[in-house]
Amino acid sequence: MSALLRARRGAVVVFGLAALTPLVVRDAYFLDSLVLILLWGALSAAWNVAGGYAGQVSIGHASFFGIGAYSAALMVTRFGRGPWLGLLVGVVLSIGAGLIIGVLSNRLKGPYFALSTIAFSQVLLIGVSRWRGFTAGAEGIPVPFRPGFATLGLGHTGWVYMALSVALVCYAVEVYLERSRVGYQLAGVREDEDAAEALGIHTRKLKVGAVALSAALTSICGSLWAQYVGFVDPTYVFSVDLSVRFALNAIIGGMGTALGPFLGSILITSLETYLRATFSNWDARFAGIYLVIYGTALILVVRFVPEGLAGIAARIRMRKAHA
Amino acid sequence: MDPARRLGPAQIDVLAQLAVATVLLGGIYALISVGLTLIFGIMRVVNFAHGEFLMLGMYLAFWAFVVFTADPYFVVFVAIPLFFVVGLVVYGLVMRGVIHASHNVQIFTTVGLSTVLQNVALVAWSGDFRFVRPWHLSTVLRAGSTIFNLTQVVASLIAVALTLALVAFMKWTHAGRVMRATAQDREAATLMGIDTDRVYRLTFAIGIAAVGAAGVLVAPLYSVYPTAGLQFVLLSYVVVVLGGLGDMLGAMIGSLIVAAVEVAGSYFFGVAWKEIFYFILFILVLVFRPAGLFGQRGAETLGV
Amino acid sequence: MSDTAPILDLDCVTKRFGGLTAVSGVSLRVAAGEILGIIGPNGAGKTTLFNVISGYYRPESGRILFAGADVTGQPPHAICRLGLTRTFQLVKPFGNLSVIDNVMIGALTRLPTVSSARLEAERVVEMCGLAAHAGGHARTLPIGLRKRLEVARALATRPRLLLLDEVMAGLNPTELAGIVELIRRLHADGLTLIVIEHIMAAMMRLAQRIVVLHHGEAIAEGAPAAITQDRRVVDAYLGEEFVLAQA
Repeated sequence: MSALLRARRGAVVVFGLAALTPLVVRDAYFLDSLVLILLWGALSAAWNVAGGYAGQVSIGHASFFGIGAYSAALMVTRFGRGPWLGLLVGVVLSIGAGLIIGVLSNRLKGPYFALSTIAFSQVLLIGVSRWRGFTAGAEGIPVPFRPGFATLGLGHTGWVYMALSVALVCYAVEVYLERSRVGYQLAGVREDEDAAEALGIHTRKLKVGAVALSAALTSICGSLWAQYVGFVDPTYVFSVDLSVRFALNAIIGGMGTALGPFLGSILITSLETYLRATFSNWDARFAGIYLVIYGTALILVVRFVPEGLAGIAARIRMRKAHA
Repeated sequence: MDPARRLGPAQIDVLAQLAVATVLLGGIYALISVGLTLIFGIMRVVNFAHGEFLMLGMYLAFWAFVVFTADPYFVVFVAIPLFFVVGLVVYGLVMRGVIHASHNVQIFTTVGLSTVLQNVALVAWSGDFRFVRPWHLSTVLRAGSTIFNLTQVVASLIAVALTLALVAFMKWTHAGRVMRATAQDREAATLMGIDTDRVYRLTFAIGIAAVGAAGVLVAPLYSVYPTAGLQFVLLSYVVVVLGGLGDMLGAMIGSLIVAAVEVAGSYFFGVAWKEIFYFILFILVLVFRPAGLFGQRGAETLGV
Repeated sequence: MSDTAPILDLDCVTKRFGGLTAVSGVSLRVAAGEILGIIGPNGAGKTTLFNVISGYYRPESGRILFAGADVTGQPPHAICRLGLTRTFQLVKPFGNLSVIDNVMIGALTRLPTVSSARLEAERVVEMCGLAAHAGGHARTLPIGLRKRLEVARALATRPRLLLLDEVMAGLNPTELAGIVELIRRLHADGLTLIVIEHIMAAMMRLAQRIVVLHHGEAIAEGAPAAITQDRRVVDAYLGEEFVLAQA
């Protein structure tokens, strides 16, 4: 156990600090930022399962996020049940959607797969926006706050631990994919599918499974997010910008690593909350500015620092070891 | 419909109207797609930002109209050299570095570019829907019992003219031949002494000029907003896949087919369907006919 | 050769790509424990035949029986699990993974845990002479060692029949001798092999039987010495100088 902890030093620090913070800090704004960092990290880790570990780069993960968010919101507002049931329904639906996209991944490679995931998310966006009778259309759904665990009406501290739990689950899944038999086989699929097939690996099943798992985790985060933020709007939850955001954190932090998505999230989400605080009179229009920054960061990182923050950290550690 | 019942005059009118609409629309889609098929066919890069250059063309038409009351059909001739230069710059800054990189790097680079362009537009001009309404938008032409709108006709004609000019360029100039050779076999081209970097630069610039010009032309026909490019980019990928990578004639035929499906679909299922249409069609074509209509090199292998 | 059932039985296998017939009515039998060589000019259909046998292509007609079971049309991973593994002519290492991880992924086909697979991988790596490079990334290996890795990874799947596709191309004489020695040892341990090669000297030493492919057809089959005398083989592939050199 101690060897495991030592190998995962970074994670211990990150998650440990997150766990301890609510005990020390009371500032609501700070805790809110922490919740967002953890949720975005979890979302990027979920994306990483498909993108980084299975090599299926999707720019359409907002599909699953939106399904989760809407399932939770509708379950509460339309069916009068609790959000946890909505979360469950969202997971089931997202796994279904993930299976469809997984099948697409077997027929399409690289950029074309990515394009098709964008198409998928936009089909959902338009469909949900137009289905006024059921989903309240493009106006979105406000999600009521009712205190209590069953209704996910938590205080700031409660949300920190909720988000931390999800983050840990996603992190654990990633670690499992690094160390397990399935994980190694998935690595083979990612590196060279034909070679992996020749070694007895059922590449199709693994790819579809990875995408479905990634979808389920993303959906869970979406459901929680809906309850946390309190408003679900189709043009946001199914947007391409959102999908790009999931990938962005993982890439900046280190795409093939377990902690990478969280490192990326820490950097990006902190930057965003800082900017938002400093320029508090920004409207939606100026929100575009940090998207411009993200887009530029994506271009630069992917070209010049492809291993991301985690890779840089590993290089520094190796240099110290040799010194 | 009862097959025994012969086509009466009413049905023929409808068919004629749909046919005209298809041709008009197809001409415009051809101009959008022809640039993409060149970029994709020669450089073998999937440009996720292609639609954003179209969007910028639309905004160019809008601002020229609002500030100078310039008609889009004159602006288009300014747009061509302007976007050509833009293409050169973007190639140098962004594309050149990733031509030989892995798929993932190319995807994220052009996705990043797309995000940047969309949001620059958002910040600069807000997300409000804009409209370009030149005088000819309300002018209706009649031929027999078919009616169409002058704007559409002129846009189509200019688009087709530009597309044909491009085809002629590819076929009869030395530069065009060199580009086609590079499309067929990158390595052989290098061995023959072709400077592929220059070919790529020219290709990209031409592609962006074409799609920017197309943006100016379609501005009066659609709403102008920062994410307007998205629907067009997916549609043009459908055309490119159907027609075959790098095949300009295929892009033109593919454009007609896509236009036909859209026109027929809107007629039978209503205009609201049109928005989803592009995306569903994209998925369907890729899943069922990735090798294109003519059995060309398939999308799924993306033989890079 | 022997009375026991062949480990591999190809029955009139044909593979077409559009108008091109890459493999035409090929029938052959491989007995357990033998080394079969396949030779022929480029484009003769040798690798296509491997692709059909190992499940990457589905034949237009004909059957493939492996250890008595009909595997025609089965996907490659299923055929590997039955005991048939192939290597690739253009080697496909898992470049960003270490050598030991590469072999481990092969071993995981038979072994349920990562730790047992790692032990097996270490054993195979040792046996194939890659121990000195075990920790390095596969993409840093030169071609000779990549070929060894390709073989080692395939071996880790504990095949009963191993298909080697031009594993000797591009090797220098020392590397060549090493691979030949390795193949000899594997054969002595009981592995059945089908080997595609262009390097005739090595083929003559290794193969007990040779099949010659030309334009997708099996034009000759027999012991190495007999093959090199066969007029059709000489005309199609070997050339007069080879025959004279052998004399």
